[in-house]
Amino acid sequence: MDILPPVATLCLGIIFGYIGQRARMCFIGGMRDYFLVRDTYLIKGLFTFLIFAFIGFFMFHFISKAISTFPWFLNGGAVFLKKWKTMGINVDPSPILPVPGDPITWSPKVWAHIIVAMIGGFGLGFFSTLSGGCPFRQHVMAAEGSKSAIVYLIGLYLGAVVFHKFIAPIIKAILG
Amino acid sequence: MRMTAAMVGAISGFLAAAVQAFFHVIPPPAYGICIACHVRDLVNWIAAHIYPIYGISHGKLIIPGGPVSYNFPLLTVVGVLIGAYIAARINREFRWKVMRVAWQRPFAEFFWGMMVMISALTVGGCPIRTALKTAYLDITAAIGLVMIGVGVFFGCQVLKKLVYGR
Repeated sequence: MDILPPVATLCLGIIFGYIGQRARMCFIGGMRDYFLVRDTYLIKGLFTFLIFAFIGFFMFHFISKAISTFPWFLNGGAVFLKKWKTMGINVDPSPILPVPGDPITWSPKVWAHIIVAMIGGFGLGFFSTLSGGCPFRQHVMAAEGSKSAIVYLIGLYLGAVVFHKFIAPIIKAILG
Repeated sequence: MRMTAAMVGAISGFLAAAVQAFFHVIPPPAYGICIACHVRDLVNWIAAHIYPIYGISHGKLIIPGGPVSYNFPLLTVVGVLIGAYIAARINREFRWKVMRVAWQRPFAEFFWGMMVMISALTVGGCPIRTALKTAYLDITAAIGLVMIGVGVFFGCQVLKKLVYGR
């Protein structure tokens, strides 16, 4: 079943790209419009996304084993304990530990995770506002033929390589 | 039917939960829709297969990214490009253009793109995945989402200065 997730996300991406282009959806753009001109058309998308994703997770965690860790602040600790046993770390997991994915994923230091989330979140909001949209919106604009967005995508793709080769080791060395 | 942003948010949020539940886009959890992470998976998978030296650390092949993308990367990004291109073609909105304002010319956008990617991977996902993680009831992601709002607020101040020149 290795091929199932790529195919499912490809189909989801096509649907999401299509309806996202029709509605001009952008979370960063929604916050920006609200702060600049108090326009709430786009930011409603953020709130309905939160509400319906929560409803979806809540409904499906009864019937699907893939969402067995659903309330992460209750069940996430078990995931960390299992991994830490193989790494030889003996700490009680805190409920604030995040979903795996940031550069210092398995570190037991809670404050380090919070600092990383704060710095990254601030930079993400700031630079996305200046560039004119969140990464999703830039992909849609590139497909609409905006040359600025195409150059943005090249920078985005190179940024992934730069991050994993140069930035992530620095963050791990300082905080991990 | 005319799509509004609220409807798109509802549909995509529900589908992001469904795709994790029924199509096993896991681990890591809350990975159904994310632009930055899936770009990272795709780019690193391609780079590690073109240049095997790229992915090797401690003597074995380790591709940076989500474990679900280890054998074959998730293709959300390709899907978004295809879907948006179809939508733009059907509704006759496709045309080549360049943004007029100085800080959105292509050379500046290259820099913004790189900085956005570095910040997004630092927080652990683009705004969409941060919202998805918040819906998964992850407290650190909620802090990240609030800080995205703070960053947008400061960005708006800079935008006002750039537009009005004061």
